[in-house]
Formats: sequence, structure tokens, C-alpha cells
Amino acid sequence: MAIETRSESELLNRFWPRYRRLTLLRVVFSQLIIVALVVTVVLMLYPDPPLYAWVVIVLLGAISFVLTFMVVNMSMRPLRDLSNALVHVSGEPSAATPPNLNDSYFVRSRLRPLLKLVYDMATNQPNADAADADGQEPTVDLQAQLNHTSTGLVMMDAAGNITYANKSAPVSIDGQGKKSLELIFDVDPNIDEWRNERGEHDIHAEKAWRRIANKLTGEPDRRLFDVYVSYEKGSEAETIITLFDRTGEYQPEDDDLDFIAFAAHELRGPITVIRGYLDALNDELADVASGDQKELFQRLIVSANRLSGYVNNILNASRFDRRHLKVHLQEQTVADIYDTIADDMQMRAQAQQRLLSVDFPEGLPTVATDLNSMSEVLGNLIDNAIKYSNDGGSIEVTAGVNGDFVEIAVTDHGIGMPANVIANLFHKFYRSHRSRETVAGTGIGLYISKAIVESNGGKIGVRSVEGHGSTFTVSLPVYATVADKLTGGGINNQDFIERSSSGWIKNHGAFRG
Amino acid sequence: MAIKTILIIEDDRFIGEMYVRSLKKAGYDVDWMVDGNDGLIAARNKPYDVMLLDVMLPERRGSEILQILRGGVEDLIPGTKVVVLTNFDQTEQARQAMEQHADGYLIKAEITPKKLLAVIEKLED
Repeated sequence: MAIETRSESELLNRFWPRYRRLTLLRVVFSQLIIVALVVTVVLMLYPDPPLYAWVVIVLLGAISFVLTFMVVNMSMRPLRDLSNALVHVSGEPSAATPPNLNDSYFVRSRLRPLLKLVYDMATNQPNADAADADGQEPTVDLQAQLNHTSTGLVMMDAAGNITYANKSAPVSIDGQGKKSLELIFDVDPNIDEWRNERGEHDIHAEKAWRRIANKLTGEPDRRLFDVYVSYEKGSEAETIITLFDRTGEYQPEDDDLDFIAFAAHELRGPITVIRGYLDALNDELADVASGDQKELFQRLIVSANRLSGYVNNILNASRFDRRHLKVHLQEQTVADIYDTIADDMQMRAQAQQRLLSVDFPEGLPTVATDLNSMSEVLGNLIDNAIKYSNDGGSIEVTAGVNGDFVEIAVTDHGIGMPANVIANLFHKFYRSHRSRETVAGTGIGLYISKAIVESNGGKIGVRSVEGHGSTFTVSLPVYATVADKLTGGGINNQDFIERSSSGWIKNHGAFRG
Repeated sequence: MAIKTILIIEDDRFIGEMYVRSLKKAGYDVDWMVDGNDGLIAARNKPYDVMLLDVMLPERRGSEILQILRGGVEDLIPGTKVVVLTNFDQTEQARQAMEQHADGYLIKAEITPKKLLAVIEKLED
């Protein structure tokens, strides 16, 4: 129904209050005249009436006032209900509740057919069209108007097919003309999963998702939505999805993440110079430097290497948070992974007087992993073991087969951790009370290590006894158990891994450096 | 193939000098260009055995240089091995596009002069 801007006097909902007020005023006025006439007649007959006569007159007047009031109110009720019904169907805002057809009063008073006619006329399409054709009541073109809002609106039928989507809704159409929602859910369940569950359990349900993007960071036309979904079983549009575009509000957070990546790259320039020049000086001064000076050089090199590792951690964490972390799984031996960091780790251990022993058994099966990122994980774990153990302490790196996985273990005999620390260990920026006091670090190493290991389809774990040391384990899938998945997806191995109960994650492509 | 001549296209003076110094010490003939235009001209004028190419360069980006030299029908530098050296985190597509035309793609912060020499030695095989 049309909602037009009308002047105050033209509003439908102004009729009833005004009419009621005027009617009651008329009634009061006529009552006053009657009372005045009665008093005049009485005074003419009895010029000096006693006091009780006045009391009787006043009392009778009051009773007649109240009775008239009630009768008028009752008589006007149908008019009120019809007026409310008309206001309701006009779509005009109103505080009054529209009359309910099932009210027994309407049946008794025979008003029901009249009200029903009003409601029917409002919902009856042919009548509305007729009004249109006469040009008396212009209606809104709903579809056109919905395409003007920035709020997305999508309707789905019981099979999950999109039956309607307005212009702002992030919907893509494939080659066969099938529409699908273009939203990247990073949380479980997504809309489809949630809808499917509703079908089995609920008649009516609602759910909200916040900060859902339609595209990956950096892609053009990326928008961020708050998504509200309502489900009504058996309804023609069983699922109605409303998408509020909140890009303006959420985008700055994304820019912060970009800033981190940018800052990390700026740091890499000077790190390149520091590491490079140290490398050159260390070689060229090897013959002239004293034992002390050599140790200072070693500490500089170790620190520069660590700094480089931290920057990589920050970059990887930023990529991971933006869902840009990609891994490229290939057949590797555990020794291959360690070899890429062996010199650096031995130097770090030596500089801090730790004994690092590495022992991988012969005949260990190969694993499927991303060499670069996995060597960063192993570097993080060994670096932690060095940091959290004591001078002269030993660190053992070993590996063994455990089911379909090769388990790499990094053991130290240092300060260890209580159970409450272990629970938070893999959270971003978490650093235990003690580690904040005694050891330098960013609190990001284990967070990103876990993310990388899980992106590789592996598992990371820890066993620790406070005061006795810790063992961190990384389990990587044996190559032979996943070889068919790795080679089945084409040359680039893009998208060869799907999410499943074993913890594989989607979107594995190349990842280097 | 014995590697003798090397072209470095790198705009950071400290890094450029560092590479030049260690590569010259190792006995290579080294030319160093600071901006992308000069680098492209140098690469087209003289056949180098190896080209070390930065990505974020003034005038012309490294990706553009590589596209001009190797992206067309004809490989304009058939005898040259190209190693991309960058600290810049490129998008996956941009990186893959460069890798397609290069013999190596390395992060500068991870490559000390000693490691660079090892990389170049490997290219000889």
C-alpha cells in the first residue's frame, strides 16, 4: 500500500481521536443544557427548594453523565475499530493495535464481515491493481526500491536455491545461471550448514554472523557484512538473508593488518644489510679478531638471524589472519627441513651455551610439507627450547613414526610450564608471566607455528613438567598416505585439499619465503 | 656453464654495494644499476650470465623489466639466468608470474653474501 507524505490534516489516524473528542464534547454540552433546563423548571415550580432537592439534582445529573458517557463510548466502538483497521491497511504508522478478527465481540456485534472486507480489500491483488489502473492510488515498485538500498536481501526456497536477490546482495551467477551467495565464512557453521541443520530441528530460527567478507583482502569490490538470517519452515521464502554493509566500519581493521605487513617489509631492508655486512666482516676479520671479539660477532649474527625470524613470524601471522597464508606441500625428509636451519640453530645454541643434539633415525618415511614454512616452525621451537632452558642445558631434536604421521620432537630440560600456561600457549601474543620477566620474544611464534603446522595438515602439541622441561611435538603426514591427494589436483596442486575431520584445510597453493 | 658476468639491478645503496663487493671479491665481473630503466637498457645491451633483479625499483618495477625481457614471443636474454631478490611481499599471482620467467626467487633478508655466492654457484650446474 502506498505511504505518501501527507499533511497533518490528511493523516488517516487523526480522524478517530478527533471524532471521539468532538462527540464527547457534544454529549457533555447537551447534558449541561438538560441539567440547566431541569434546574430552571424546578426553580419555577419551587422558588426556594430545600437543600436535599439540590443534592438529588446534582446526583441525578452525575449518574446521567456517567451513563451517557458509557453508552456513547460503546456505540462508537465499531467506528473506532473500522478506523483502526483502515489506518492499519493503509500502512500509516499508528500506536493503536489493529482489530483482531477472531475477537468474539466482532462476531457478536456482526462487525466481523465489515472488518474482514476491509482487510481483504487491502490484500486482494486484483483490487489493488484496479486502484492502480485508475491512477487513484500509486503503489511502490518494491523490486526497484529494494535495488536502491545498500542493504542486501536474499531469499531462498526450501532446497536452498536463491529465489530473489536484490542488487546490493553479494550473489554470483555461474555458467548455468545458478545463483550462489558470495560470502567467505571463516567460522562454523556457514549459512548452508546452518540451514541444513534447521531443516531437521526447527520450525522457526534466526542467526547472525558478523564481519563476513565477500572477497579476500586486496581483491577489488571487497565488502564486509553483518549477516542476519531468519528461517521459517514451510514458508515460500524459507530462508531470508539480510546483509548490512559494514565495510566502512570494518575496513580500517583490515588496513591495520596491511600496515603490519608493510612495516615488516620496511624492517627487512636494514636486516638484509646487517646480516650481509656481519657475514662479510665475520669472514674478513676471522684472522685478526680475538676469541672475545669472535664471540661478540657470533652474538650479533645470532641476534640478527633471530630478528629476521621474528619479522617472518609477524608477516606470516599477518598473512594467516588475512587468510593469505599459503603452503605448498611437497615430499620432503625431516632431515631436509632441519638442514635449511641447521647452521643457524647450532650457532644460536652455541652462543647461549646450550648443547643441541639432533638425531633422526635411518629409514624415516618422507613427509608432505612446505619446506620453507615448516623450517620456520622448527626454528621457532628450537629457539624457544634454547630460550627456556638453562646455561649448559641440552636440547634434543628427534623424530619417529606415529601411525600415519612422522612426529618431530624438540625437548628441553629447562623451566617447564604449569598446566594453566599450556592451555593458552598457542594463542596470539600470549606470554606467560614468567616468560615476560625473563625471556625476550613477541609471543607470536607458537601462534603462527600452530597455524602453519595445521595448514600443512599436521598437528602440534606439548608435554611439560614444571621445573623439568618441555617437549614440543610436530606431527606431519607421511607422504605416502597423502600422495594421491597431492598429485591428483593438477600441476600447481591448487585446491587439492578439502576440509575434513582429519584437519586438512582448504586453499593450499604455493607458499615461499 | 661458467658464470662470469653479473648484472645487479638494486636501488638500495647499502645492499647494492654489499653484493658488488662480495661478488667482485669472488672474481665476477659486476655491473650495478640503480633504477629500473637503466637496468633494462643494460640488460638489453650486454649479454650477462646472471641478472640479480629487485622488484621495487624506481622508474620501472622488476616485474615490468622481466615481462619486457622474457614475457614476449622471443626471449630477449636467452643466455641469462635471472634471480629475483626482494623483501617485498608480492601477491601470489604477481610472484608466480615472476617465478615463471626467473631461475630463482629469494627473500633478500634471508640471503647473506655468502649464501648468494652459493646460489650463483648452483646456477652454473
